[in-house]
Amino acid sequence: MSKSVGAYICSGCSIGESLDVERLAGVAREECKVPVCRVHPFLCSEAGLSAIRKDVTEKTVDAVVIAACSPRMKSAAFTFDPRLVVERVNLREHVAWSHAPREEETQRLAEDYLRMGVVKAQKMEPLEPCVAEVSRAILVVGGGTAGIAAALGAADAGYEVVLVEKEAGLGGRLGATRNDFPHGTPHTELPERGLARNITRLAVHPRITAHAGARVARTEGQPGAFEVTIESGGQHFSHRVGAIVMATGWTPYDPARLGQLGYGASPNVITGDQLETMLGAGPPVRPSDGKPAESVAFIQCAGSRDKNHLPYCSAVCCLTTLQQTDLIHRRDPRVKVSILHRDIIVTGQYERYFAEVQNHPATFLLRGEVSSVTRHTGDNLAVEVKNSSLGETIRVPADLVVLATGFVPNAPNGKNGGSSTPAQGASSGDAGQAASEAGAGAKAAGWPVDPGGALHLAYRQGPELPLLKDGFPGSNFICFPYETLRTGIYAAGAVHAPMDASAAEEDGLGAAMKAIQCVEMASRGQAVHPRAGDGSYPSFLLQRCTQCKRCTVECPFGAIDEDEKGTPKFNPTRCRRCGVCMGACPERIISFKNYSVDTIAGMIKAIDVPGEEEEKPRILLFLCENDAYPALDAIAMGRGRYDASVRVIPLRCLGSLNVVWIADALSRGIDGVMLAGCKHGDDYQCHFAKGSEIASRRLENVKETLERLQLEPGRIETIEVSLDEYRRLPAAIDAFAGRIREMGPNPYKGF
Amino acid sequence: MEQAVMVEPDLRLVDQLMSLGAGDVKKCFQCATCTAVCKLSTAENGFPRKQMLLAQWGLKERLVEDPGPWLCFYCGECSKDCLRKANPGETMMALRRYLTTQYDWTGLSRLMYRSAAWELGILGLVASVVVLLFTLPRGFGFGLLNQAGPQALRSVMLDKFAPVETVHLADTMLALLLGFFLLTNAARMFRRLTRNDGIPLATYLRRLPTLALQLFTQSRWKGCQADDAIKNWVRHLALASGYMLMFTLVVIFLPWFQVQNDSLHWTSYLGYYATGVLVAGSGWMILDRARQRGEMYRFSHLSDWLFPALLLLTAATGILVNLLRVENLPMPTYVMYTIHLAVAAPMLVVEVPFGKWAHLLYRPVAIYVDAVRKDALAARG
Repeated sequence: MSKSVGAYICSGCSIGESLDVERLAGVAREECKVPVCRVHPFLCSEAGLSAIRKDVTEKTVDAVVIAACSPRMKSAAFTFDPRLVVERVNLREHVAWSHAPREEETQRLAEDYLRMGVVKAQKMEPLEPCVAEVSRAILVVGGGTAGIAAALGAADAGYEVVLVEKEAGLGGRLGATRNDFPHGTPHTELPERGLARNITRLAVHPRITAHAGARVARTEGQPGAFEVTIESGGQHFSHRVGAIVMATGWTPYDPARLGQLGYGASPNVITGDQLETMLGAGPPVRPSDGKPAESVAFIQCAGSRDKNHLPYCSAVCCLTTLQQTDLIHRRDPRVKVSILHRDIIVTGQYERYFAEVQNHPATFLLRGEVSSVTRHTGDNLAVEVKNSSLGETIRVPADLVVLATGFVPNAPNGKNGGSSTPAQGASSGDAGQAASEAGAGAKAAGWPVDPGGALHLAYRQGPELPLLKDGFPGSNFICFPYETLRTGIYAAGAVHAPMDASAAEEDGLGAAMKAIQCVEMASRGQAVHPRAGDGSYPSFLLQRCTQCKRCTVECPFGAIDEDEKGTPKFNPTRCRRCGVCMGACPERIISFKNYSVDTIAGMIKAIDVPGEEEEKPRILLFLCENDAYPALDAIAMGRGRYDASVRVIPLRCLGSLNVVWIADALSRGIDGVMLAGCKHGDDYQCHFAKGSEIASRRLENVKETLERLQLEPGRIETIEVSLDEYRRLPAAIDAFAGRIREMGPNPYKGF
Repeated sequence: MEQAVMVEPDLRLVDQLMSLGAGDVKKCFQCATCTAVCKLSTAENGFPRKQMLLAQWGLKERLVEDPGPWLCFYCGECSKDCLRKANPGETMMALRRYLTTQYDWTGLSRLMYRSAAWELGILGLVASVVVLLFTLPRGFGFGLLNQAGPQALRSVMLDKFAPVETVHLADTMLALLLGFFLLTNAARMFRRLTRNDGIPLATYLRRLPTLALQLFTQSRWKGCQADDAIKNWVRHLALASGYMLMFTLVVIFLPWFQVQNDSLHWTSYLGYYATGVLVAGSGWMILDRARQRGEMYRFSHLSDWLFPALLLLTAATGILVNLLRVENLPMPTYVMYTIHLAVAAPMLVVEVPFGKWAHLLYRPVAIYVDAVRKDALAARG
């Protein structure tokens, strides 16, 4: 408490019209006893800013409270020396613009916010940057389209790249010779073949070290300092890298699981991959007798868009089928090719290719649901289609039936010791075998190695990237592209989401860019997305740790490992500064210099709670900084109104909520506590993946405590709000405030 | 459990349909925009989407049992709005051409639609027969020219050159012949459309007025709400009336109609009306087709040209015969008369039962069957 705080109140932007600014300054001077308090009509002007700078340089103040607009505004103007403690009090958006001017409750709201800001500034400590020597090299796992693009992108940008490919040759599924889709104008002709040019360029690139026929045997450390062991032909190579791009590609869905489509029952039912091999050698033939096939039937969505198999669209099967149809007709235009589909899904300009291939007289499309493949006559098969667009159940004869099998990401889940998604099971047998050979070397080195693994992370939370609902590693695809739940490891290409080669190439470049950002941020001791540039980090007061492991379990990014006893071992560059560990810790020993259990508790204590007789409730509103807080700012910009009894405290993430704050608030006589955070669940929007979910779980326990204290559980409420739904926030706040008024004052008031 | 029907794509039929005008049919991706914009299309008979699919796959049996193509009057709205430029309107036209070949049991239609040489050859053959009838000496043909005698070369004596009784006899035989072919073809069509439909005869009988109405007016056309629908319908109705009138005059009233002198019979006035609308109607059609005005005229099969061209030629030569006769130029009159018949006879005997003209019966029959099906469906509830 030795800091001398300067409070600077802006009266511009209608703050002065709404509030009695001098009375507010009086609160700062007399009640908070700040040594310096200045009121300025235009604080972000040069005159206003130079007054602050003067006080700072003359050492009159060593912490600054700026009571003006939202901290989300004018951030450039109000940026000072990083070692200076700065707290912003949101008088404009959260008071002047959203509450009745010149009202007593509005004035008291402003006064409370100022008190809270001063206390927080007093409790915050200047940041000490955590900077260590980092490696700027980037590891790319997987040498297919996306991996090659990532490697070349990063290397061309001046970063050393280590590339690991499990096969003997680079190129992945597209390889050097397979036809790519026609992504160049006019989009109607069979395009360039494969990746030969890029593979050659990669081979001679001075900044790329490629290991083919190799596996990642172990990954230790953290962004900026990953220690990676690569196993290749019985030899081990060690590399120190700063970030990782995981581009392990995909495997077609196991056709053995598609028994109803005749796979296995007849040799004349093959997969698209088998047809591709066949077309490389000559015309399509019936495997049963080797005769050229006069009719071919493609079955689309073989395993895709099916809740019993792969629930999603596999994105490439339609185009692959169209391309194979084209190849068949280039050899023999009289081969009848029927494409039995549920929808032809091709995106963008590929539509032109679709139209081109469809326009061939011998291409026959039919929409419907394929229900079975049975023997027709001799070696000829019949495909049954239900609900066809011909209006009934029909059977289409074919010499050769091709299953356009779906898209399974090569993303081990790190839990079942096996290969991939639960649906995939044991299908990637050959991959598994290669891996177990690679694993043998690692085992000799004394490490337990999962043969199907890709990264073998030496992380407390598991050896692989956590998977989302469809078995893809990653994060919310729209909001946080490339991000995974492991900092510094970015998923790219087919393992990231179903996509074609051209999209994978772009995805690889994007992931390379993220990897570069990551090593650069790590070198400065700053956080990556979503708190990009944040220099704070949690510190652990380990003397008081009880080894309960809650922090190591709950950290959404696996940033905290454990020693044998269960004491947390923090990895600063894996940390995203969300504070989930801080909220988790029952001993309250995890704190940031500028964000701690104590700072928030201090803010709660600074709220002036009117006595029961005043009949003025006070409601604490914990807002997630990522969506809910900006949403309330947005309401203010539209001059929306909401109950003036709320006191907002922003949280880095609802997951950083420590339940002690709720106890503090209720014991001080605050009548209700509302929490607004991001959506969670399968389609989560939480910027820290699990934060809001963890918070609602913690609150369940709190509600039980409330009942024991004879307090209504309804005094605590959680809502999910995303920024685009900001309009419903005032109504939700007012409704909660209404319910609190109905419940009557908190009986603990005045204790 | 529904019995699954075997459906085998027929590439040769697809090729054939494409050459008959459905060149863009493969582009269709079944979005059904065409069916949505068509005012005549109904929920029970959602053309042309269904026909597009049948044509894409070349499903012959289903196509031949489908009245759909004849329910369309080709306003072309579907082709204008087609997202894929698959030209559903022209596909329906191509299907009508194809169906014409399928209803015909002689196989002549198929030959003519598949090859221009066959079509022109057959027309030429019939024309030559007509010419020969006039020019060959007696004993080989009618020897009409020899019969005329020297007197007929000094002044026009059409009756001497082509005796009304002989021509009338030939006309009647021709009408009977074309009637026979047209009716047997239409009967074949009717049988294919109604085979095994289980609809009681009474339902068919009750709907007979529809058949008659559509035969004489094709009034269904008015239901098409495209911009020019009414105009086109009126134009078509006028042309058809002229044609039917002229046909009646020639086949039944020839003894009065083929006048010998300048005296005017009541049939003459009807003849002037018929000639007028024939010239105007067919000329208009030819001009529109030449300029490709509107979707209907964008693609032209040979049969589309021959149909109005022969009509115009018949009317024009008829007018010329009359003018030459009035001018009393015997030889030119006889030559023109021969040409007139050499155009009219093949037109009637070839184009009506085997060519595009057959639609005069096919379309009403299809509309009739469609109406009967709807009645039956409604009766079943």
